[in-house]
Amino acid sequence: MTDAVTMDVVSKVYGKGRNAVAALREVSIGLPRGGFTAVMGPSGSGKSTFLHCAAGLDRPTAGSVRLGGTELATMSETQLTVLRRARIGFVFQAFNLVPSLTVTQNITLPLRLAGTPVDRPWLAGILARVGLADRADHRPAQLSGGQQQRVAIARALVTRPEVVFGDEPTGALDTMTARDVLTLLRETVDQLGQTVVMVTHDPVAASYADTVLFLADGHIVDTMAAPSPVAVADRMTRLGAWVR
Amino acid sequence: MMLGLALSTLRHRKAGFVGAFVGLFCAAALVSSCGMLMDTGLRGVVEPERYVGAPVIVSGDQDVRAEERKSSTSTKTKTKPLGDRAWVAASVADRLRAVPGVRSVVTEVDLPAAVGAAPGAESWGHGWESAALTPFTLASGRAPEADGEIVVDAAARLAVGATTPLRTPAGTGVYRVVGVTAQSLPHQSTVFFGTAEARRLAGHDGQYSAIGVYPAGVAPAVVDALRGTAASVFTGDERGRVEFPGADTARTRLISMGAALGGTSLLVAVLVVAGTFALSGQRRQRELALLRAIAATPRQIRAMIGGEALVVSAVAGTLGAAAGIGLAFWLRDTFAGLGAIPVNLPLVVGPFPPLVAVAATLAAAWAAARVSARRIAAIRPVEALGDAAMTPPRVPVLRLAAGAVALAGGVVMTVLLSTIRTERGSGPLTPVTTLVWITAVALLGPPIARGTVAALGPALRLSRIGGWLAAANLRTDARRLAGVVTSLSLMVGMACTLLFAQTTMAHARGAEALAGNRADYVLGTRIGSGAAEDVRWLPGVRAVTEVLHTTVWTGVTSHSAQAVTPAGLSQTLDLDVRAGSIDRLAEDTVAVREGLGPGLGDDVPLSLADGTPVTLRVVAVYGRGLGFGDLTLAHDLVARHVDVPLNDSVLVAAPTVDRATLVGALRGEPGVAVLDRITAVSASSDGGTAVNYVALGLIVGFAAISVVNSLTMSTLGRSREFGLLRLVGTTRRQVLRMLAWEAGTVALIATVLGTAVALATLWAYSTGMTGMPTPYVPLPSYLSVVAVAAALALVATALPAALALRTRPTDAIGVGE
Repeated sequence: MTDAVTMDVVSKVYGKGRNAVAALREVSIGLPRGGFTAVMGPSGSGKSTFLHCAAGLDRPTAGSVRLGGTELATMSETQLTVLRRARIGFVFQAFNLVPSLTVTQNITLPLRLAGTPVDRPWLAGILARVGLADRADHRPAQLSGGQQQRVAIARALVTRPEVVFGDEPTGALDTMTARDVLTLLRETVDQLGQTVVMVTHDPVAASYADTVLFLADGHIVDTMAAPSPVAVADRMTRLGAWVR
Repeated sequence: MMLGLALSTLRHRKAGFVGAFVGLFCAAALVSSCGMLMDTGLRGVVEPERYVGAPVIVSGDQDVRAEERKSSTSTKTKTKPLGDRAWVAASVADRLRAVPGVRSVVTEVDLPAAVGAAPGAESWGHGWESAALTPFTLASGRAPEADGEIVVDAAARLAVGATTPLRTPAGTGVYRVVGVTAQSLPHQSTVFFGTAEARRLAGHDGQYSAIGVYPAGVAPAVVDALRGTAASVFTGDERGRVEFPGADTARTRLISMGAALGGTSLLVAVLVVAGTFALSGQRRQRELALLRAIAATPRQIRAMIGGEALVVSAVAGTLGAAAGIGLAFWLRDTFAGLGAIPVNLPLVVGPFPPLVAVAATLAAAWAAARVSARRIAAIRPVEALGDAAMTPPRVPVLRLAAGAVALAGGVVMTVLLSTIRTERGSGPLTPVTTLVWITAVALLGPPIARGTVAALGPALRLSRIGGWLAAANLRTDARRLAGVVTSLSLMVGMACTLLFAQTTMAHARGAEALAGNRADYVLGTRIGSGAAEDVRWLPGVRAVTEVLHTTVWTGVTSHSAQAVTPAGLSQTLDLDVRAGSIDRLAEDTVAVREGLGPGLGDDVPLSLADGTPVTLRVVAVYGRGLGFGDLTLAHDLVARHVDVPLNDSVLVAAPTVDRATLVGALRGEPGVAVLDRITAVSASSDGGTAVNYVALGLIVGFAAISVVNSLTMSTLGRSREFGLLRLVGTTRRQVLRMLAWEAGTVALIATVLGTAVALATLWAYSTGMTGMPTPYVPLPSYLSVVAVAAALALVATALPAALALRTRPTDAIGVGE
């Protein structure tokens, strides 16, 4: 299996001189195409920075990040923007949607920004898949939190991106709703062959992934295949001890 | 494409754009109305009334002209309309009679003549010879023949056989009405004397005020016949120029007034709208960061914000421009009511001023939006992921640089202003100087705000809850603070500058006029020489000085001047003579204020109010130019060359004579007031000041609206924060008290900044205009400006806060931004 994203000795340092803080330290990893990867770690472990660098939201201080064959680390801000809207999808924890736009408009926003025509059957298929076909003309304020996250997933999928990145996509949801959203993400991997990378701190959420990466102190300290919630929670607890 | 996005944002976030909308609406209304005033100045027509029956009117050249050398080879003739009528030599009438095709020639003289005691109203006397110009016809009675006989117009409500007092420059006489005309004119009263008496009363020997030529077809022949003479030919609406000589001056004034007011409001608008867009941009940071993250380039964000601005300004500009038409009518009526423009100069309603206003509004909004979008679009997409409310700690280098440039501009403008000695120059420059300073304040706002809050922090924290929270809020959100401080200091600065420029000038004028006035009594106003004669020979009267204010020209530059009777002048007036002697003032000499240019003994070429060229020798240079005008001329010279040779005041030096004696001596002159000099000086304020106050009111009102705007926006945007505060146990009252502390701090900072800016500008204005560096700032007026600013800050914070606090805190905190 090839890698969708390859990171090669990637470091990210915030600040300068004595105030410098290293959020990522020489991380090298490949995120497999068609796989569902979860990234876990305690607060301050660098998992958000990992996601930002992998997704082209931020440029690393050193090292190489490649999406497919494209090097991201040296791109300009506008080049990154164009790349993101064509090849990457995002689902954030909250505030995913533009409140003034309808569900359909929100989903097709990346296409609109890119000036690409909308593939109607594909859009209809996505709407049906996320279960919002009857809500297409609603505005975000009229939707529940779970529905809003499903709209965000639909928007992430609409460009047929190489990777969908999620930053705590279930962090603001209750357990039942979170399960629906995670199931939806799992289905996109299994049925559409979508690559998904998700940062989370919830062992249950991580257990939906194929692989879990554990970050601590800017390093990848462990990986776990076929995770179960108990095993992940157990590993996290020891990770906390290990960091001490 | 981005416009579609902009449109749906606008539909959804109406509240966020109300501020920009209101600001742009007001700007468009002001610009459109000022444009219409200018248009009226350029194209406005005062239609002839009295000359309406005469197809061709011949009179003197109603303009002053001066050759201006543009380069070594080309010259350009500049013209300015005269304020008083230029008469035409009587010989021209004979020449006209000889022109082939001329059927008849009607000559006219005119003089101010008021039936009863009605000074101020336009009321003119003529000889019966000129009745055909209108034409006036008799409804009853007969034409006047002998001295003492008059014909009055239909509006005079006098019957044949009545006797009435009549004021003319010669004094008040009793006249018998021998006829009443069938007509009357809309904007003037008309009295006809016998032809001989009219010519005698009017002075101007050997001249006519106007000559009517019939029929209409001879106009080209008349022009040919008069080529090379000083006479000019007027037809159609042009005839109104001869009939209402002041109208052209008023039109010129309208152009400069409209330009100054419109330009100032446009600059204020750019500041206000840039501020509103910046504020609404801050409120939408999270949304814009999201757009950046899901793939909008900074250019697309800028285009979207620009698109929003264009849509808002198109709607606001169109509505505002339409409202501006109404405002223009109101302004015209107000200015006419104040006597600044003639009542018979109707507003010109053309398509261009509103169109220009819409275009200017679009341009201003677009520019303002692009400026504020520059920073907003630079939001890093990462901010969408987490805590988007965090403000980037980057130093905005470009903004600081622009601020430094504005600051330097302020210094340059201030220094420049301090060298300008004419109202024409300092009038528009003064508000612009203040605006440049305020622009610097706006650009450097965040660091200024941070600095002042750091300084005020300890004081604020004395209040343990409200003040402590306020200090924390102000410190963390310096950019929001800077936004509201800018709009409030704009209001304070503009109000103080415009208000105290007026008081400074009036005070300096009044102080000089009072210091230089040595008379025991002042008779006023619009009085003939007869009244002066009545008191001149009273026992105990040492000197009587007749004073007539007029305009004289050097080239096409007008100067305020006074004409005085030279006899005994030093007993009634002290002009603070620096060189020469005022006693040598005569018909061929002149006294000038220090700094005007000419020195003692120089021969100065001048044009009098009616355009007559004279060359006068400077015999005195005096210091009190503010109180008494640039030049002082002999009364006899000037009185022959003005439309209304009535005195504005008569100064009487008579220390031993009591008031009752004077009043008794003036019994034959109804309507003459006997005042002491303090009352007389303070009563002589001019209509120009009132007009400036109207302009001041408009600009400051506009600034006040923007204050309410920005405070409301910034308070409403904080409902989430208020919800949080209440959830952690802050009572509504404590939240409101915290906001009161914040508003108070905002008002304090803005007052200090606005006052400092105004003082810098006023220092320069005062230095230039009065020669004294200290402006005159009456404390009660200043305190009212401050009080209004503070009240606005409190109310515009408290009302929206009360509204925001009505939502349940749990709901408020759930609201996405």
